Amino acid sequence: MDLVFSLLINGLATGMLIFLLAAGLTLIFGLMDVLNFAHGGLFIWGAYTGVWFYQMSDSFLLAIMVSIITGLLLGLITEKLIVRPVYGNHIQQILITLGFMLVLQELIKVVFGPDQKAVFPPGWLQGSFMVGDIVIIKYRLFIIVLGFLVFFLIFFILKRTRIGLIVRAGVIDKEMIQSLGINIRFVFMLVFMVGAAMAALSGMLHAPYSGVIYAEMGLEFSILAFIVVVIGGMGSFTGSLFAALLVGLAQAFMAYYFPALSLAVNMLLMATVLIFRPQGLFRVKG
Amino acid sequence: MMKSNLLKLQQVEAYIGQFHILYDITFEVPKGEVTVLLGRNGAGKTTTLRTVMGLNPASKGSITFKEQEISSLKPHMIANRGIGYVPEDQGIFGDLTVGENIRVAMKKEDQVTTKRMEWALELFPDLKKFWNKPGGQLSGGQKQMLAIARAYVNENELLLIDEPSKGLAPIIVEKVMESIQQMKERTTILLVEQNFLMASRIGDQFYIIDDGQTVHDGQMGELKEDKVLMKKYLGIS
Amino acid sequence: MNLRSIERSTWIYIAIALLLFIVPFIVTGRSMQFILIQIFIFGIFAMSYDLLLGFTGIISFGHVMFFGIGAYSTAISLDRFDSTIPALLLGVVLALVIAAIVSFIVGILTLRLKSHFYAMLTLALAGLFLVAAEKWRSLSGGNDGFTFRLPELIRDSQSQYFLCLVSLIFIFFGLRRLTKSPFGKVLMSIRENEQRTESLGYTVLHYKVIASVVSGVIASFAGVLYIISLRFVNTSVFATDLTIDVLLMTIIGGVGTLIGPIIGAGLVEFAHHWLSGLSDVHWIFERWIILYGTVYILVVIFFPLGIVGTIQAKLFGRTVTKGLKDNKSKVS
Repeated sequence: MDLVFSLLINGLATGMLIFLLAAGLTLIFGLMDVLNFAHGGLFIWGAYTGVWFYQMSDSFLLAIMVSIITGLLLGLITEKLIVRPVYGNHIQQILITLGFMLVLQELIKVVFGPDQKAVFPPGWLQGSFMVGDIVIIKYRLFIIVLGFLVFFLIFFILKRTRIGLIVRAGVIDKEMIQSLGINIRFVFMLVFMVGAAMAALSGMLHAPYSGVIYAEMGLEFSILAFIVVVIGGMGSFTGSLFAALLVGLAQAFMAYYFPALSLAVNMLLMATVLIFRPQGLFRVKG
Repeated sequence: MMKSNLLKLQQVEAYIGQFHILYDITFEVPKGEVTVLLGRNGAGKTTTLRTVMGLNPASKGSITFKEQEISSLKPHMIANRGIGYVPEDQGIFGDLTVGENIRVAMKKEDQVTTKRMEWALELFPDLKKFWNKPGGQLSGGQKQMLAIARAYVNENELLLIDEPSKGLAPIIVEKVMESIQQMKERTTILLVEQNFLMASRIGDQFYIIDDGQTVHDGQMGELKEDKVLMKKYLGIS
Repeated sequence: MNLRSIERSTWIYIAIALLLFIVPFIVTGRSMQFILIQIFIFGIFAMSYDLLLGFTGIISFGHVMFFGIGAYSTAISLDRFDSTIPALLLGVVLALVIAAIVSFIVGILTLRLKSHFYAMLTLALAGLFLVAAEKWRSLSGGNDGFTFRLPELIRDSQSQYFLCLVSLIFIFFGLRRLTKSPFGKVLMSIRENEQRTESLGYTVLHYKVIASVVSGVIASFAGVLYIISLRFVNTSVFATDLTIDVLLMTIIGGVGTLIGPIIGAGLVEFAHHWLSGLSDVHWIFERWIILYGTVYILVVIFFPLGIVGTIQAKLFGRTVTKGLKDNKSKVS
């Protein structure tokens, strides 16, 4: 019983990290039909800059802020330099973001060195506590709580603010929202930056969770995020949360029982969705 | 006396992809009147409206609104100059409620805008009734009304309305046309309409578009008499 | 149709091919011959990519998996059985069959959806193959890989040179024939406007899946030649670095031209050789992906026609290939 519970916690924590990465992807895609293959690059840059600051200052919370700022800035740069010049051309856009992903990944090695780095959670998040018979690891709980907070924050913004209303309308019909006098590109830039910040936050939180960071983990982890985006429905924010938790749980349980098959199971999950419900579990457009 | 022209197109050309759709569109929309664009399916009427809106930019020619060139502006800038647009498919945000559909269009929530919104809701009481219903669940006629109300709430001086009668039952068409007639008192309208009867009732003047060119124009009253013209370009006998 | 210009270009290609047959007797240096072999192999790989990207408008980010399938099938077959020609042939057959099956499944699953799906699924699948190769040590030798012996016939560098050159020539003319055939015309019209092609009565999905399978099989064959030239295989045949290589080769040479990707392969391979020489000078040259990635990004933005596409545009005064421009206009 406590094994199942501990796997559950594990899966939710992994799912939350994937959600933070996938939510940005799905919103960016929904709004502008841009599938950002460089998203994993924002993830590792968030992780490395955050960890760098964390090891220098010993303040974990400030380090999280640093990673978010990195995400916002890199998001701005990516949007202006990479996505905007080939705006409106899907082929060029897809091609160019993958190129930028690899450049970001290699730049990590240049700036921070090519070797893996070990990272530990801060003292106050180390260890575990007991609820009845069940051991709960503090840091995992922290990720889950923070993930939900971010989800509700974004959810609130989408539902209750004017900018959120514009984003939701823009996901449904870009032309119409422009015809109502709204500069969709500016809105898109903001969404891109927020999405990038979430990716960076995901990377930073992932670092002490996996205990080690390395440049290639961005691409590896973003593959999970892509799977989530397909399963949840491209453009659906809520869908990305559900799909991420699903994938996270599948990952955790498979990793325990059939470790060799964990990625394969998620691919299978995605293939099933593609066959029976290619628009994803949560459809947005239409 | 010279009528003041709100919108003026001169020798406008436009492409969709590599296809040359508009060759020579020239017309004027006088302030306070309803100007109707007529023509067969595929003649380029919808593209003309999209081109005015900047959604399908003109490759040549000039488009002036209130005597300022707008042909090179982005759609949102054109909208902000004071043009409201009701597309052929109404462009309702299906997952958003009726209220949200209207709110997203309101740039300000000041007195003027609120007054205009209240007036629009009086004109279309259904919208008030279904305020919290998702726009996608409205009937065709209600969607059309929502789209028109949405284009109206901002202080737009010109409304572009694309085939408001399309796919609606005759009795609903009647209602929609009535409301457009009432709007006419307050704003200028450029209307694309296939339903000739309706067009002739609310239109002041007309232009006929054929194969991407404006080929004829005149007062709506004259057109009704001109059987030859109607047969040639509109297929009505 | 300008028949004379086609004939002339065919003669030029045949002349170049004949010249290349003499080269190994003049250039006897092993390292130079090795570079040429690599160019031929990657020329084949890049052409297979061009069939997808340039002719059909499909973006794959996992093309490397077919390359890897070819490499491992052959290497494992040669390793498990003996280093004979039958074992090699068995490996090649395995390579082509597996690649055909995988590309068929991926195509059927995603090619009816938006182009993003194919790019994404192929990237994910290639990741899966990489992980599988790392984990399934008993079969793949994991990260360290393994070496194996080649059949007598293709052991020396010169016979490998001819093998790869002949393959390149056959595949080049084969693909050229294919793309100029009615089938190829349909592919190009899919690239130009998918809906219109569909409305003309073509089942677009069938054509796209066939293109995907042909491309996957050829890429797999390139993988076969690649490990023959190395006599060694490890997980790097599934690495994303190779994907960026082949993307760069195809795009810099000119998509939709077939000859462009071969020229691109030449440029990239020489650049590899030159840059690895420079790594003694400064460590930054070891991180050549930064350079490649940056060049790649700039090419995509500013030079979307590529070398051959640009020359053609200049010579004929019109765009022969559309390059990376997608002109799927939104008609609503």
